Amino acid sequence: MSAGQLRLCHRDDVPEGAARGFLPRPGAARNVIVVKREGRLHGYIDSCPHYRGGTPMAWRRDAYLNGDGTHLACHAHGALFDIETGACVSGPCLGRKLTRVPLSEAPDGSISVPAQVAGRAAREG
Amino acid sequence: MRIIGPDYLVFGVDDLEGSKTYLEDFGLTPVQLDETGWLYETLDGTGVIIRHRDDPRLPVPLQTKNMLRQQVYGVEDAATLDAIEAEMSKDRRVTRLSDGGLEFRDDLGFELRFQVTIRRELSMPAEKINAPGAPAQRAANELGVTDDMAALPRTLSHVVLFVPDIDKMVSFFCDRLGFVITDVLSGAGPFLRPAANDDHHTHFFIRTPAYMQGCEHLAFHMGGPTELMVAGDRFVRKGYQSFWGPGRHKFGSNWFWYFNSPLGCHFEYDADMDKHDDTWVAREAPNGPEASQMFLLQWREKWAPGGGPEGGSGTP
Ligand code: FES
Ligand SMILES: [Fe+2]
Repeated sequence: MSAGQLRLCHRDDVPEGAARGFLPRPGAARNVIVVKREGRLHGYIDSCPHYRGGTPMAWRRDAYLNGDGTHLACHAHGALFDIETGACVSGPCLGRKLTRVPLSEAPDGSISVPAQVAGRAAREG
Repeated sequence: MRIIGPDYLVFGVDDLEGSKTYLEDFGLTPVQLDETGWLYETLDGTGVIIRHRDDPRLPVPLQTKNMLRQQVYGVEDAATLDAIEAEMSKDRRVTRLSDGGLEFRDDLGFELRFQVTIRRELSMPAEKINAPGAPAQRAANELGVTDDMAALPRTLSHVVLFVPDIDKMVSFFCDRLGFVITDVLSGAGPFLRPAANDDHHTHFFIRTPAYMQGCEHLAFHMGGPTELMVAGDRFVRKGYQSFWGPGRHKFGSNWFWYFNSPLGCHFEYDADMDKHDDTWVAREAPNGPEASQMFLLQWREKWAPGGGPEGGSGTP
């Protein structure tokens, strides 16, 4: 893992079709959501764009998807987000987007994010 | 009209198993109603009814994706049901159910049901406190907290709705059903209580665009602030996501702690709400962080200072 990167998880820690939340740094205010769709991983800050400042979206640890597993969901007021683009497709923040986080994958399968993501996650808190 | 308040809120959920686990961990007791429906009840029998969203036993959904399907209100007596039926029949279809209950739709399309309340009378002490200058509320050797203390929702307290037309909602609830406005957060909306309930509010309406119409949260009365903190702390430790709180609201004075849920709205523990009578004059304040709470706190892992630089028990 290169300097300036924070390790979140191994790619196998997130099963196909599932999402999980990982703190980029101990004590960070917000998780990074990692979701796997057709083998590809997508990263977003766990911060619903409905309210200024953003709020956490799961209803329980790692529970970021809607019941059918088709979308990322904010379980505050039921907003649904496209897994591939982060765009809100239904609910209060229609037209807004989740903040995408670039994920890097090392040869050993380690997934990491740029260190500034922890700062971003702190500001969102 | 002797309306008491919500007996049940009915939801059509997309994650039935997740919702069942959530409601039980929140502190509600499951009662299976039929093959496909469950009531999760508080100590007085009020609570939440859930079914899968495709269940034909559910009332029709809202136009939005909100999972609320019906609000079931309890009234004091059959005479109140007759009065509601007479009033509502003036301009809408009212269905009289075999159990005597009434079903109809309000002016914004929310499904309502009224029934003689199912709530059981509770007889249990409120949280007791000791303070200098006042008689002690707890007897000698009676403890304020214990590790295994109960902290269960006692009754369904209030429902908060996102509504696209506040004026229509207020005139429907106040002019047609006898609710009164207790306070107003301007920019958001009014707090309401019905005639047969002295709680500061059983309803709060928040103005939103039509595509958000639905339930924003429902709240449950706890036995006091300590029970609220204990219940919320236990819920967080089980992995559930705090959304707002703990804190104490200004209007209503109730302690609050809100959590995300798989039912697409917030669940709130509340405690120690103000009581009002008809002499009360509604206040008004602009909605925002200042008006909506006395103070706001945030959960953290347990930590305690130790004896010295080398004796600390963790990071502050
Ligand atoms: S805070 Fe996410 S939908 Fe409202
Ligand atoms: Fe509330």
